Amino acid sequence: MNKLQDILEHRHEYARDWKKRTGGRILGFYDVYFPEEVAYAAGVLPVRILAKHSEDFLTDRLMYGNCYCTRDMLNQFARGDYDYADGIVSVESCQWHYNAFDTTLIEKPELWSHYVFTPDYTDARTSKNVMRSELDLFRRKLGEWTGKEPGDEDLDRAIDVYNRNRQLLRRLYELRKFDGTPISGSEAMDTVLACQVMDKAEANELLEELLEETESRPPREDCVRLMLIGSETYDAALERIVESLGANVVIDDLDNGTGYIMRDVTPQRDRLMAIGMRYLLKPHSALKDNVWRRRPQRIWEFIEDWQADGVIIAKQIYCHPHGSDMYMVWNLLRERNVAFHTFERDTTLPYEETALGIEALINIIKPGMTRLRGQEV
Amino acid sequence: MVKEFGAWPETVWASGDRFGGTPVCGTDVGTTSVQAVIMSDGALVAYANLRCGYDFGEAAETALTRALKAAGLSRGDIKTCRATGFGRRRAAFADATAEEITCHGLGARYVFGPDVRTVADLGGQRTKAIRLYDWDRVRDFKISDKCAAGMGRGIERIANLLEIPISEIGERSLSAEKDPEPASTTCCNFMYPETMGLLRQGFREDEYSENDVLAAAMFTVAWRALGTIGKLSPLDIGEISLDGALGFTGGLAKNPGVTKRIERELGLSALPAKYDPRLTGAIGAALLAERDINPR
Repeated sequence: MNKLQDILEHRHEYARDWKKRTGGRILGFYDVYFPEEVAYAAGVLPVRILAKHSEDFLTDRLMYGNCYCTRDMLNQFARGDYDYADGIVSVESCQWHYNAFDTTLIEKPELWSHYVFTPDYTDARTSKNVMRSELDLFRRKLGEWTGKEPGDEDLDRAIDVYNRNRQLLRRLYELRKFDGTPISGSEAMDTVLACQVMDKAEANELLEELLEETESRPPREDCVRLMLIGSETYDAALERIVESLGANVVIDDLDNGTGYIMRDVTPQRDRLMAIGMRYLLKPHSALKDNVWRRRPQRIWEFIEDWQADGVIIAKQIYCHPHGSDMYMVWNLLRERNVAFHTFERDTTLPYEETALGIEALINIIKPGMTRLRGQEV
Repeated sequence: MVKEFGAWPETVWASGDRFGGTPVCGTDVGTTSVQAVIMSDGALVAYANLRCGYDFGEAAETALTRALKAAGLSRGDIKTCRATGFGRRRAAFADATAEEITCHGLGARYVFGPDVRTVADLGGQRTKAIRLYDWDRVRDFKISDKCAAGMGRGIERIANLLEIPISEIGERSLSAEKDPEPASTTCCNFMYPETMGLLRQGFREDEYSENDVLAAAMFTVAWRALGTIGKLSPLDIGEISLDGALGFTGGLAKNPGVTKRIERELGLSALPAKYDPRLTGAIGAALLAERDINPR
């Protein structure tokens, strides 16, 4: 286990320790469309609220019918896991995230909160101005909350730290392009998730260490290379099941993965506009991939660049955006003769149920793989 | 003691023919029933089929013991064994496991012949739809989701509720004059109380006959299975005749109330099975076991 994976596993302890060390405030956020740079510039630590499987205290009466991930986010607040959070912030994204945000505020009214409207139609003529005005409002609100409104220098520093983080994570992803990739899918996903729950400057130091160590690792045994597509995931349990079956996830099209690390903030005089444009131009999820529908082409480019042999589409149950987008992805994969397996999941991932479909997918792919010749099929 | 109407009788069969070659075993440890088959040089020698309790391992052991006894063999005569099905890892005697999709694909070509291109495995817990290439490779597959997955189990509950033997309910449902609205297709746990509701509305007073209630339940299961089959990649029309390309496996394959309704909706006639279609997974596992000792 690398140091970042360890922090992910003990993320609440890390956050409490960070607060003790720095005296700073912590802001929980629900979605990767949240412009973390602005909060970071104000000296606040943005911490991603990650779902896990845990006992249900409240949600049957407060959030019934929402996806289990978002229900669990409320549960974790009710249980006190996020007792270190001083506030929460939501953005315009999936409705279940908003419900979790809204319901948490009913249960925990003492939390500071803010809602950032990030346009769903990211390509619209007015989107960038709307986004900028939202960021400006958020900056002012942060200023009122913390007593110091972040200025251009603060924003520059935050942009540098966040761009550096994305660049390092992309370097890690680059290592997965090659046969015998030295890093497993689960380690890569854990690393990206760890970066979402910790101070990016500290994450960058650990990432540099990890990259140095990973680049000198011997290559792993070559195996079936899979791509993971679908709703948000909050852990690497699925990647671990894939690895237990002798395959490896080498690339993803997930909000938590490539959706988080691709596209830097391009510097410009208007810092807020620069940050806003990053979130309008980043690889979009099924929800915001409107009008020009860039997602299928991007998925295909990932398949080609990372030499994926097949695709797993894992949809969270009740995830409407991916439920409707999935069929378009099926068409793309069928047209290009890419084997795939689709299934619905929630925060639990029963091994036998999940492994059955993945093993069948691997068995479809294996016989046609010349680079695995000689291995048992 | 409550009488059980929902279970198929347990069976043991042996070909009785003399056989040479190396006997191998395949076992399908499903959620509802377990099958063990003995094959030798591609010929079916014997099989046993019985209900699973909660102990998958013990059920698999019993099935193997019965099949061996029917074949007149001992455990040491079996060269190798493959296990498939939901409880495959519990079959301690198996030398290797294999997932169900590959096994049902292979087994279907044995049970239905080389024309089969679409396999609908209507099991106790899940529906699996498999599309095969023109040879014995799986081209695409879809598995029913967790919700409404309890297909065969759901029908067993209906048989117990109406106290009609499972071997009769399919035919009886077909005698309904017209298919009523299906019961809930969301989940078999919704289907059951809805069926109870239909009964309470008064089939005894001839508003619904028992057969109408059965038809509603069968229609529900057929509807859900069609949803899974419909998600498969399209068959290359023109390459082969669509008619006769379909094979049903699993316990519900023996229920015409479900299969006829699926055939009607698809406009297809299913291929007749040369062997009990519940054996398909176990036969596929045995064929893989034969490949283990004689790689192609």
